[in-house]
Amino acid sequence: MTDHLQKEVKRETGEGTDLWRVILAPTIWAVHFLVCYVAAAIYCEKAGRMADLLPVRLIVGTATFIALAGLAAVFISLWKVRGLSSVNDDYNYAGNTPEERHRFLSHVALMLCVLSGVAILYAAFPALVLEVCR
Amino acid sequence: MHDTKPEITISFGPCLPIAAMGLLLSGCVGRQSALAPAGHDAEQISNLFWVMTAGVSIIWALVLGTALAATLGLFKNPTRLTPNILIVGGGVVFPTVILGILLIFGLRLLPNWQSEPDRLQIHVHGEQWWWRVAYRAPDQIEPVISANEIHLPAGQAVEFVLTSADVIHSFWIPSIGGKLDMIPGRTTRLLLEATRPGVYRGVCAEYCGTSHAKMAFAVVVHEPKEFNAWLEDRTSDPNIGTDDPGRKIFLSSGCAACHRIRGLTEIGSVGPDLSHIGSRRTIGAGIAENTPKNLARWITDPAQMKPAVQMPAYRALPPEDIAAIARFLSNLN
Ligand code: HEC
Ligand SMILES: [Cu+2]
Repeated sequence: MTDHLQKEVKRETGEGTDLWRVILAPTIWAVHFLVCYVAAAIYCEKAGRMADLLPVRLIVGTATFIALAGLAAVFISLWKVRGLSSVNDDYNYAGNTPEERHRFLSHVALMLCVLSGVAILYAAFPALVLEVCR
Repeated sequence: MHDTKPEITISFGPCLPIAAMGLLLSGCVGRQSALAPAGHDAEQISNLFWVMTAGVSIIWALVLGTALAATLGLFKNPTRLTPNILIVGGGVVFPTVILGILLIFGLRLLPNWQSEPDRLQIHVHGEQWWWRVAYRAPDQIEPVISANEIHLPAGQAVEFVLTSADVIHSFWIPSIGGKLDMIPGRTTRLLLEATRPGVYRGVCAEYCGTSHAKMAFAVVVHEPKEFNAWLEDRTSDPNIGTDDPGRKIFLSSGCAACHRIRGLTEIGSVGPDLSHIGSRRTIGAGIAENTPKNLARWITDPAQMKPAVQMPAYRALPPEDIAAIARFLSNLN
């Protein structure tokens, strides 16, 4: 058991522990959330209770499309790290090397990416159903 | 590695709360229960409750069953794949899909505010610790003012216009529908449709001060014809006995500074409208049965029945005078 832990696996997945890479997906989620809610709030305040929600629904649709495209790009770049490493034991982080930290953070970021995707879809759902401001 | 099965004893102690809950649930019938629906929304809420209870029971059994099976070592040959499938399938895909279904289902339950036909509007204004009520039918110019009791026609959607005078209150008739906050400076709207005639109970569902728990109201659902007759009757003045001794004492004791009685005194608006108080089921915002005895008790010292109440005590009045006022009020309808 112990020699398995100590064996350092040589992999070329890159280095770096840039936190921006980790929170890029949640940031897209946050911006999407703000765009949707602020757009709806301002529009409905100006247009009144009975106003048709169509403009807001279009904004939400566009924002969702852009956000999901952004997430897809992030996802692909993160998946590459995983693709490079999954030939070996992808979950082995015992060596405490820069490469492992990089791979671990990429794994976390990948999961955040999936979470953000789900959250963005949920935030956009009401735009499919609601038709007027009130 | 050797394989010893851990010793696990199962006690049935935890089942006691479940048995107790069965007893409690038998209390969920009656005039203030979301599980004994008498309205369109309450039916949806109660259905949702049962569907979700069944759903979470199944999920609970699955999760704990799996945990128990794992602890007892019943999974013989777990492969590398099994945990991955469990984590991605059970931890990501399953909740996402289930929550997504619930979200769409919930959104579809929202009332259709798009068409705005002429409906009966009931304006309810929350105030520490009672309710102003004003009815306005589509063809009506002057609203009908009342308090602390709400009458509804069965089978018709009614629009509640909710406001508050002081702090946040929440308007809730559990048997008929969901609750909605009354927020100072804002107007909120609630669409409710009662389906079953009967007498129900509504409450304030947001802590609003000392006597929050004593801020309730009776709800009377009529057949539509009966409701129209009731509303028609309320557009005219109550029958006031001109030679009723209580009437004079009511006026001379200063009650009129705060209370309105149509056709007698219309200046006071601090307290509830008393025009047809004799026909209401309760007094003091749903806290006591409407009897001459309770009315006398209330007038003598309202704070004894409702702490911090905004009405002064009339302990100084002779009991016969108070009884006379109480009789006078009981006859107003
Ligand atoms: C300073 C204003 C004020 C005066 C004066 C006053 N009241 Fe009141 N009264 C109130 C308020 C406020 C309430 C509502 C209290 C609550 O339920 O929180 C109330 C409630 C009531 C109620 C219960 C109404 C209901 O809908 O259940 C009755 C009955 C009543 N008053 C009778 C009287 C009588 C009789 C007098 C004169 C002897 C009187 N009041 C004098 C303010 C006043
Ligand atoms: Cu309240």
